[in-house]
Amino acid sequence: MGTINESDIVTLCGQVGTILLENGAETARVENTVEYVGRAADLPVVCHATMTGIFVSSEKSAATRIFKVRVGDFNLQKVDEINTLSRQFLRHEITYEDLKKEVQRVDKETLDFSWITKCIGAGLVSMPPMLLFKATWGDLFLAFFVGIIGYLVSQVVAHHTKTPYIPVALGSLAISVLANILGVVDIAHDANYIIISALMPLVPGVPMTNSLREIIEKNTISGLVRATDAIISGISIGSGVIIGQILIKSVMGG
Amino acid sequence: MMEIVYGFIFGFLSSVGFGIITNNPRRTLVPAGLVGAIAWIVYIIVGWFNHGLIMPNLMGAVVIGLLGNLCAILVKAPVNIFYVPCLVSLVPGAILYDSMKNFTLGKDSLAAYGFVKALTVGMSLAIGFIIAETIANKIYGRLKQHINQKESK
Repeated sequence: MGTINESDIVTLCGQVGTILLENGAETARVENTVEYVGRAADLPVVCHATMTGIFVSSEKSAATRIFKVRVGDFNLQKVDEINTLSRQFLRHEITYEDLKKEVQRVDKETLDFSWITKCIGAGLVSMPPMLLFKATWGDLFLAFFVGIIGYLVSQVVAHHTKTPYIPVALGSLAISVLANILGVVDIAHDANYIIISALMPLVPGVPMTNSLREIIEKNTISGLVRATDAIISGISIGSGVIIGQILIKSVMGG
Repeated sequence: MMEIVYGFIFGFLSSVGFGIITNNPRRTLVPAGLVGAIAWIVYIIVGWFNHGLIMPNLMGAVVIGLLGNLCAILVKAPVNIFYVPCLVSLVPGAILYDSMKNFTLGKDSLAAYGFVKALTVGMSLAIGFIIAETIANKIYGRLKQHINQKESK
Protein backbone atom coordinates (compact mmCIF):
# COMPACT_ATOMS: atom_id res chain seq x y z
CA MET A 1 0.00 0.00 0.00
CA GLY A 2 2.92 2.30 0.68
CA THR A 3 3.66 2.76 -3.00
CA ILE A 4 0.52 4.68 -3.73
CA ASN A 5 0.87 8.40 -3.92
CA GLU A 6 -0.76 10.26 -1.06
CA SER A 7 -2.38 12.99 -3.10
CA ASP A 8 -3.68 10.27 -5.39
CA ILE A 9 -5.64 8.74 -2.54
CA VAL A 10 -6.95 12.12 -1.47
CA THR A 11 -8.13 12.75 -5.03
CA LEU A 12 -9.86 9.40 -5.22
CA CYS A 13 -11.57 10.01 -1.88
CA GLY A 14 -12.77 13.34 -3.18
CA GLN A 15 -14.15 11.77 -6.33
CA VAL A 16 -16.04 9.19 -4.31
CA GLY A 17 -17.53 11.95 -2.20
CA THR A 18 -18.42 14.09 -5.20
CA ILE A 19 -20.30 11.28 -6.92
CA LEU A 20 -22.20 10.44 -3.75
CA LEU A 21 -23.18 14.02 -3.06
CA GLU A 22 -24.13 14.91 -6.63
CA ASN A 23 -26.53 12.02 -6.86
CA GLY A 24 -28.48 12.53 -3.69
CA ALA A 25 -26.70 11.06 -0.67
CA GLU A 26 -26.86 13.01 2.55
CA THR A 27 -23.73 14.79 3.77
CA ALA A 28 -23.17 12.70 6.88
CA ARG A 29 -23.05 9.55 4.76
CA VAL A 30 -20.68 11.18 2.29
CA GLU A 31 -18.25 12.15 5.05
CA ASN A 32 -18.41 8.69 6.60
CA THR A 33 -17.82 6.84 3.34
CA VAL A 34 -14.91 9.06 2.33
CA GLU A 35 -13.22 8.61 5.69
CA TYR A 36 -13.73 4.85 5.58
CA VAL A 37 -12.20 4.63 2.11
CA GLY A 38 -9.24 6.70 3.26
CA ARG A 39 -8.68 4.51 6.29
CA ALA A 40 -8.91 1.35 4.20
CA ALA A 41 -6.24 2.77 1.90
CA ASP A 42 -3.98 3.26 4.92
CA LEU A 43 -4.26 7.00 4.85
CA PRO A 44 -6.46 8.57 7.51
CA VAL A 45 -8.30 11.48 5.91
CA VAL A 46 -10.63 14.11 7.26
CA CYS A 47 -13.59 15.01 5.11
CA HIS A 48 -15.93 17.91 5.40
CA ALA A 49 -18.86 17.99 3.01
CA THR A 50 -21.39 20.72 2.36
CA MET A 51 -23.84 20.90 -0.48
CA THR A 52 -21.52 23.05 -2.56
CA GLY A 53 -18.11 21.60 -1.90
CA ILE A 54 -16.15 18.74 -0.41
CA PHE A 55 -12.88 19.19 1.45
CA VAL A 56 -10.65 16.17 1.83
CA SER A 57 -7.46 16.45 3.81
CA SER A 58 -4.85 13.84 4.65
CA GLU A 59 -4.00 13.59 8.33
CA LYS A 60 -0.40 12.56 7.74
CA SER A 61 0.71 15.52 5.68
CA ALA A 62 -0.71 18.75 4.39
CA ALA A 63 -2.28 17.27 1.26
CA THR A 64 -5.72 18.83 0.93
CA ARG A 65 -8.08 19.01 -1.98
CA ILE A 66 -11.26 20.91 -2.54
CA PHE A 67 -13.94 19.60 -4.86
CA LYS A 68 -16.74 21.72 -6.20
CA VAL A 69 -20.09 20.05 -6.30
CA ARG A 70 -23.19 20.86 -8.24
CA VAL A 71 -26.03 18.92 -6.80
CA GLY A 72 -28.26 17.61 -9.54
CA ASP A 73 -31.03 15.08 -9.78
CA PHE A 74 -31.25 11.93 -7.79
CA ASN A 75 -29.43 9.00 -9.34
CA LEU A 76 -29.55 6.43 -6.60
CA GLN A 77 -28.00 3.72 -8.74
CA LYS A 78 -24.68 5.56 -8.53
CA VAL A 79 -24.99 6.01 -4.79
CA ASP A 80 -25.59 2.30 -4.40
CA GLU A 81 -22.72 1.28 -6.66
CA ILE A 82 -20.23 3.53 -4.89
CA ASN A 83 -21.48 2.20 -1.58
CA THR A 84 -20.97 -1.39 -2.69
CA LEU A 85 -17.51 -0.58 -4.02
CA SER A 86 -16.41 1.12 -0.83
CA ARG A 87 -17.65 -1.85 1.21
CA GLN A 88 -15.75 -4.28 -0.97
CA PHE A 89 -12.66 -2.14 -0.65
CA LEU A 90 -13.06 -2.04 3.13
CA ARG A 91 -13.11 -5.83 3.25
CA HIS A 92 -10.10 -5.87 0.89
CA GLU A 93 -12.00 -7.80 -1.75
CA ILE A 94 -10.85 -5.41 -4.46
CA THR A 95 -7.54 -3.62 -4.78
CA TYR A 96 -6.94 0.09 -4.83
CA GLU A 97 -6.44 0.04 -8.60
CA ASP A 98 -9.76 -1.73 -9.14
CA LEU A 99 -11.52 0.80 -6.96
CA LYS A 100 -10.01 3.65 -8.93
CA LYS A 101 -11.05 2.18 -12.26
CA GLU A 102 -14.56 1.38 -11.07
CA VAL A 103 -15.08 4.85 -9.60
CA GLN A 104 -14.19 6.39 -12.96
CA ARG A 105 -16.66 4.06 -14.65
CA VAL A 106 -19.48 4.85 -12.25
CA ASP A 107 -18.81 8.55 -12.72
CA LYS A 108 -19.27 8.29 -16.47
CA GLU A 109 -21.98 5.74 -17.02
CA THR A 110 -24.29 3.53 -15.06
CA LEU A 111 -27.25 1.37 -15.63
CA ASP A 112 -30.27 3.52 -16.29
CA PHE A 113 -33.90 2.85 -17.00
CA SER A 114 -35.05 3.42 -20.56
CA TRP A 115 -36.95 6.57 -21.44
CA ILE A 116 -40.22 4.73 -21.74
CA THR A 117 -39.88 3.11 -18.34
CA LYS A 118 -39.05 6.48 -16.80
CA CYS A 119 -42.11 8.02 -18.43
CA ILE A 120 -44.33 5.30 -17.02
CA GLY A 121 -42.67 5.88 -13.67
CA ALA A 122 -43.48 9.58 -13.88
CA GLY A 123 -47.03 8.70 -14.79
CA LEU A 124 -47.35 6.43 -11.77
CA VAL A 125 -46.07 9.17 -9.49
CA SER A 126 -48.69 11.45 -11.01
CA MET A 127 -51.45 9.40 -9.41
CA PRO A 128 -50.69 10.15 -5.77
CA PRO A 129 -52.70 8.21 -3.17
CA MET A 130 -53.31 11.52 -1.44
CA LEU A 131 -55.89 12.54 -4.03
CA LEU A 132 -57.58 9.14 -4.43
CA PHE A 133 -60.90 10.11 -2.89
CA LYS A 134 -60.77 13.79 -3.67
CA ALA A 135 -60.27 13.76 -7.42
CA THR A 136 -62.44 11.70 -9.75
CA TRP A 137 -61.03 8.55 -11.35
CA GLY A 138 -61.17 10.21 -14.75
CA ASP A 139 -59.07 13.09 -13.52
CA LEU A 140 -56.47 10.74 -12.08
CA PHE A 141 -56.37 8.86 -15.37
CA LEU A 142 -55.78 12.11 -17.25
CA ALA A 143 -53.16 13.17 -14.70
CA PHE A 144 -51.21 10.03 -15.58
CA PHE A 145 -50.63 11.33 -19.12
CA VAL A 146 -50.33 15.00 -18.25
CA GLY A 147 -47.70 14.06 -15.67
CA ILE A 148 -45.74 12.12 -18.26
CA ILE A 149 -45.76 15.09 -20.62
CA GLY A 150 -44.69 17.48 -17.88
CA TYR A 151 -41.84 15.20 -16.88
CA LEU A 152 -40.76 14.77 -20.51
CA VAL A 153 -40.76 18.51 -21.14
CA SER A 154 -38.65 19.22 -18.07
CA GLN A 155 -36.17 16.47 -18.99
CA VAL A 156 -35.84 17.63 -22.59
CA VAL A 157 -35.36 21.23 -21.52
CA ALA A 158 -32.80 20.14 -18.94
CA HIS A 159 -30.82 18.57 -21.78
CA HIS A 160 -30.68 21.83 -23.69
CA THR A 161 -30.07 24.41 -21.02
CA LYS A 162 -27.84 24.67 -18.02
CA THR A 163 -29.83 27.46 -16.40
CA PRO A 164 -31.22 26.06 -13.16
CA TYR A 165 -34.96 26.06 -12.43
CA ILE A 166 -35.93 26.65 -16.07
CA PRO A 167 -36.66 22.93 -16.69
CA VAL A 168 -39.12 22.64 -13.81
CA ALA A 169 -40.73 25.96 -14.69
CA LEU A 170 -41.34 24.89 -18.30
CA GLY A 171 -42.49 21.45 -17.23
CA SER A 172 -45.08 22.94 -14.93
CA LEU A 173 -46.05 25.43 -17.62
CA ALA A 174 -46.77 22.51 -19.97
CA ILE A 175 -48.79 20.73 -17.27
CA SER A 176 -50.79 23.82 -16.49
CA VAL A 177 -51.55 24.58 -20.14
CA LEU A 178 -52.69 21.02 -20.78
CA ALA A 179 -54.74 20.73 -17.62
CA ASN A 180 -56.47 24.04 -18.19
CA ILE A 181 -57.28 23.14 -21.80
CA LEU A 182 -58.77 19.88 -20.58
CA GLY A 183 -60.71 21.81 -17.98
CA VAL A 184 -62.03 24.42 -20.39
CA VAL A 185 -63.27 21.90 -22.95
CA ASP A 186 -64.96 19.94 -20.15
CA ILE A 187 -63.05 16.70 -20.49
CA ALA A 188 -61.63 17.06 -17.02
CA HIS A 189 -63.69 17.51 -13.91
CA ASP A 190 -61.37 19.86 -12.06
CA ALA A 191 -58.21 21.23 -13.64
CA ASN A 192 -56.69 21.99 -10.23
CA TYR A 193 -56.56 18.36 -9.13
CA ILE A 194 -54.94 17.37 -12.41
CA ILE A 195 -52.32 20.07 -11.97
CA ILE A 196 -51.51 19.05 -8.40
CA SER A 197 -51.22 15.36 -9.14
CA ALA A 198 -49.35 15.80 -12.43
CA LEU A 199 -46.86 18.04 -10.65
CA MET A 200 -45.89 15.28 -8.24
CA PRO A 201 -42.75 14.18 -10.19
CA LEU A 202 -41.48 17.78 -10.35
CA VAL A 203 -42.37 19.16 -6.97
CA PRO A 204 -39.48 19.47 -4.47
CA GLY A 205 -41.08 17.62 -1.60
CA VAL A 206 -38.33 15.09 -1.02
CA PRO A 207 -35.53 17.72 -1.04
CA MET A 208 -37.56 19.77 1.43
CA THR A 209 -37.81 16.84 3.84
CA ASN A 210 -34.17 15.91 3.36
CA SER A 211 -33.14 19.47 4.14
CA LEU A 212 -35.03 19.40 7.41
CA ARG A 213 -33.42 16.08 8.23
CA GLU A 214 -30.00 17.58 7.63
CA ILE A 215 -30.80 20.56 9.84
CA ILE A 216 -31.90 18.26 12.65
CA GLU A 217 -28.68 16.31 12.26
CA LYS A 218 -26.83 19.62 12.72
CA ASN A 219 -25.56 19.88 9.14
CA THR A 220 -27.06 23.33 9.13
CA ILE A 221 -25.33 24.71 6.05
CA SER A 222 -26.30 21.79 3.81
CA GLY A 223 -29.81 21.90 5.17
CA LEU A 224 -30.22 25.57 4.41
CA VAL A 225 -28.80 25.17 0.90
CA ARG A 226 -31.24 22.36 0.19
CA ALA A 227 -34.17 24.25 1.70
CA THR A 228 -33.46 27.38 -0.35
CA ASP A 229 -33.16 25.24 -3.45
CA ALA A 230 -36.51 23.60 -2.71
CA ILE A 231 -38.22 26.94 -2.14
CA ILE A 232 -36.86 28.48 -5.33
CA SER A 233 -37.92 25.52 -7.42
CA GLY A 234 -41.30 25.70 -5.70
CA ILE A 235 -41.56 29.33 -6.77
CA SER A 236 -40.59 28.52 -10.36
CA ILE A 237 -43.17 25.73 -10.49
CA GLY A 238 -45.79 28.06 -9.05
CA SER A 239 -45.08 30.77 -11.59
CA GLY A 240 -45.03 28.25 -14.43
CA VAL A 241 -48.49 27.08 -13.46
CA ILE A 242 -49.84 30.61 -13.09
CA ILE A 243 -48.48 31.70 -16.47
CA GLY A 244 -50.08 28.68 -18.11
CA GLN A 245 -53.37 29.40 -16.42
CA ILE A 246 -53.38 33.05 -17.49
CA LEU A 247 -52.45 32.10 -21.06
CA ILE A 248 -55.27 29.61 -21.43
CA LYS A 249 -57.81 31.78 -19.66
CA SER A 250 -57.06 34.72 -21.94
CA VAL A 251 -56.96 32.68 -25.13
CA MET A 252 -59.89 30.34 -24.58
CA GLY A 253 -61.91 32.15 -21.94
CA GLY A 254 -63.66 30.21 -19.17
CA MET B 1 -61.83 -0.50 3.91
CA MET B 2 -61.75 0.36 0.21
CA GLU B 3 -59.59 3.30 1.18
CA ILE B 4 -56.94 0.95 2.54
CA VAL B 5 -56.94 -1.38 -0.45
CA TYR B 6 -56.69 1.42 -2.99
CA GLY B 7 -54.24 3.25 -0.77
CA PHE B 8 -51.99 0.21 -0.71
CA ILE B 9 -52.08 -0.22 -4.49
CA PHE B 10 -51.50 3.42 -5.30
CA GLY B 11 -48.94 3.90 -2.56
CA PHE B 12 -47.01 0.98 -3.99
CA LEU B 13 -47.28 2.29 -7.54
CA SER B 14 -46.19 5.82 -6.76
CA SER B 15 -43.22 4.66 -4.68
CA VAL B 16 -42.09 2.34 -7.46
CA GLY B 17 -42.67 5.09 -10.01
CA PHE B 18 -40.53 7.55 -8.11
CA GLY B 19 -37.95 4.83 -7.67
CA ILE B 20 -37.81 4.50 -11.44
CA ILE B 21 -37.41 8.26 -11.95
CA THR B 22 -34.59 8.45 -9.42
CA ASN B 23 -32.94 5.40 -10.99
CA ASN B 24 -33.08 3.17 -7.94
CA PRO B 25 -31.13 -0.06 -8.21
CA ARG B 26 -33.54 -2.68 -9.53
CA ARG B 27 -33.29 -5.01 -6.56
CA THR B 28 -34.57 -2.28 -4.26
CA LEU B 29 -37.67 -1.30 -6.23
CA VAL B 30 -40.14 -3.83 -4.86
CA PRO B 31 -39.08 -3.53 -1.20
CA ALA B 32 -39.21 0.26 -1.50
CA GLY B 33 -42.68 0.05 -3.02
CA LEU B 34 -43.91 -2.19 -0.22
CA VAL B 35 -42.51 0.09 2.47
CA GLY B 36 -44.11 3.09 0.79
CA ALA B 37 -47.47 1.33 0.59
CA ILE B 38 -47.39 0.25 4.24
CA ALA B 39 -46.39 3.76 5.32
CA TRP B 40 -49.33 5.18 3.40
CA ILE B 41 -51.76 2.78 5.11
CA VAL B 42 -50.36 3.78 8.49
CA TYR B 43 -50.87 7.40 7.47
CA ILE B 44 -54.53 6.75 6.61
CA ILE B 45 -55.25 4.77 9.77
CA VAL B 46 -53.58 7.29 12.09
CA GLY B 47 -55.48 9.98 10.20
CA TRP B 48 -58.79 8.39 11.28
CA PHE B 49 -57.98 8.91 14.93
CA ASN B 50 -56.06 12.15 14.72
CA HIS B 51 -57.06 14.80 12.25
CA GLY B 52 -54.02 17.00 12.65
CA LEU B 53 -51.14 17.20 10.21
CA ILE B 54 -48.44 16.12 12.58
CA MET B 55 -49.32 12.69 13.95
CA PRO B 56 -50.12 10.88 10.65
CA ASN B 57 -46.96 12.14 9.01
CA LEU B 58 -44.84 11.41 12.03
CA MET B 59 -46.10 7.85 12.32
CA GLY B 60 -45.70 7.33 8.58
CA ALA B 61 -42.10 8.48 8.79
CA VAL B 62 -41.44 6.25 11.80
CA VAL B 63 -42.73 3.26 9.83
CA ILE B 64 -40.63 4.18 6.79
CA GLY B 65 -37.59 4.63 9.01
CA LEU B 66 -37.99 1.28 10.77
CA LEU B 67 -38.83 -0.77 7.67
CA GLY B 68 -36.37 1.15 5.50
CA ASN B 69 -33.51 0.39 7.86
CA LEU B 70 -34.57 -3.26 7.96
CA CYS B 71 -34.62 -3.42 4.14
CA ALA B 72 -31.29 -1.64 3.97
CA ILE B 73 -29.73 -4.41 6.04
CA LEU B 74 -31.46 -7.23 4.18
CA VAL B 75 -30.91 -5.92 0.65
CA LYS B 76 -27.57 -4.27 1.49
CA ALA B 77 -28.07 -0.77 0.18
CA PRO B 78 -27.81 2.69 1.73
CA VAL B 79 -30.92 3.65 3.70
CA ASN B 80 -31.43 6.79 1.67
CA ILE B 81 -32.31 4.63 -1.33
CA PHE B 82 -35.39 3.47 0.54
CA TYR B 83 -36.26 6.81 2.08
CA VAL B 84 -36.46 8.79 -1.15
CA PRO B 85 -39.08 6.78 -3.06
CA CYS B 86 -41.13 5.89 0.03
CA LEU B 87 -41.38 9.50 1.07
CA VAL B 88 -42.94 10.66 -2.16
CA SER B 89 -46.55 10.14 -1.12
CA LEU B 90 -46.16 11.70 2.31
CA VAL B 91 -44.01 14.62 1.37
CA PRO B 92 -45.40 18.19 1.44
CA GLY B 93 -44.81 18.76 -2.28
CA ALA B 94 -48.36 19.72 -3.16
CA ILE B 95 -48.64 22.02 -0.15
CA LEU B 96 -45.35 23.71 -0.98
CA TYR B 97 -46.49 24.19 -4.56
CA ASP B 98 -49.80 25.64 -3.41
CA SER B 99 -48.08 28.08 -1.10
CA MET B 100 -45.63 29.19 -3.77
CA LYS B 101 -48.50 29.61 -6.22
CA ASN B 102 -50.19 31.96 -3.80
CA PHE B 103 -46.90 33.76 -3.37
CA THR B 104 -46.72 34.36 -7.13
CA LEU B 105 -50.31 35.56 -7.13
CA GLY B 106 -49.55 38.07 -4.39
CA LYS B 107 -51.74 36.41 -1.76
CA ASP B 108 -49.11 36.75 0.91
CA SER B 109 -51.01 35.58 3.96
CA LEU B 110 -52.21 32.40 2.21
CA ALA B 111 -48.67 31.81 1.00
CA ALA B 112 -47.25 32.14 4.51
CA TYR B 113 -49.96 29.86 5.89
CA GLY B 114 -49.19 27.18 3.29
CA PHE B 115 -45.47 27.50 3.85
CA VAL B 116 -45.81 27.00 7.58
CA LYS B 117 -47.99 23.96 6.84
CA ALA B 118 -45.33 22.54 4.51
CA LEU B 119 -42.68 23.15 7.17
CA THR B 120 -44.84 21.40 9.76
CA VAL B 121 -45.25 18.32 7.59
CA GLY B 122 -41.57 18.31 6.71
CA MET B 123 -40.56 18.71 10.33
CA SER B 124 -42.82 15.91 11.51
CA LEU B 125 -41.40 13.63 8.82
CA ALA B 126 -37.84 14.53 9.80
CA ILE B 127 -38.52 13.99 13.50
CA GLY B 128 -40.19 10.67 12.68
CA PHE B 129 -37.01 9.61 10.91
CA ILE B 130 -34.85 10.59 13.85
CA ILE B 131 -37.05 8.58 16.22
CA ALA B 132 -37.04 5.57 13.89
CA GLU B 133 -33.30 5.71 13.39
CA THR B 134 -32.64 5.80 17.11
CA ILE B 135 -34.85 2.76 17.63
CA ALA B 136 -33.47 0.97 14.58
CA ASN B 137 -29.87 1.38 15.68
CA LYS B 138 -30.71 -0.28 18.97
CA ILE B 139 -32.78 -3.15 17.55
CA TYR B 140 -31.06 -3.98 14.30
CA GLY B 141 -27.50 -3.96 15.55
CA ARG B 142 -27.70 -7.60 16.50
CA LEU B 143 -29.38 -8.60 13.24
CA LYS B 144 -26.63 -6.91 11.28
CA GLN B 145 -23.95 -8.74 13.25
CA HIS B 146 -25.75 -12.00 12.66
CA ILE B 147 -25.87 -11.48 8.89
CA ASN B 148 -22.26 -10.40 8.76
CA GLN B 149 -21.19 -13.49 10.68
CA LYS B 150 -23.16 -15.73 8.36
CA GLU B 151 -21.45 -14.15 5.39
CA SER B 152 -17.94 -14.43 6.69
CA LYS B 153 -18.34 -18.16 7.29
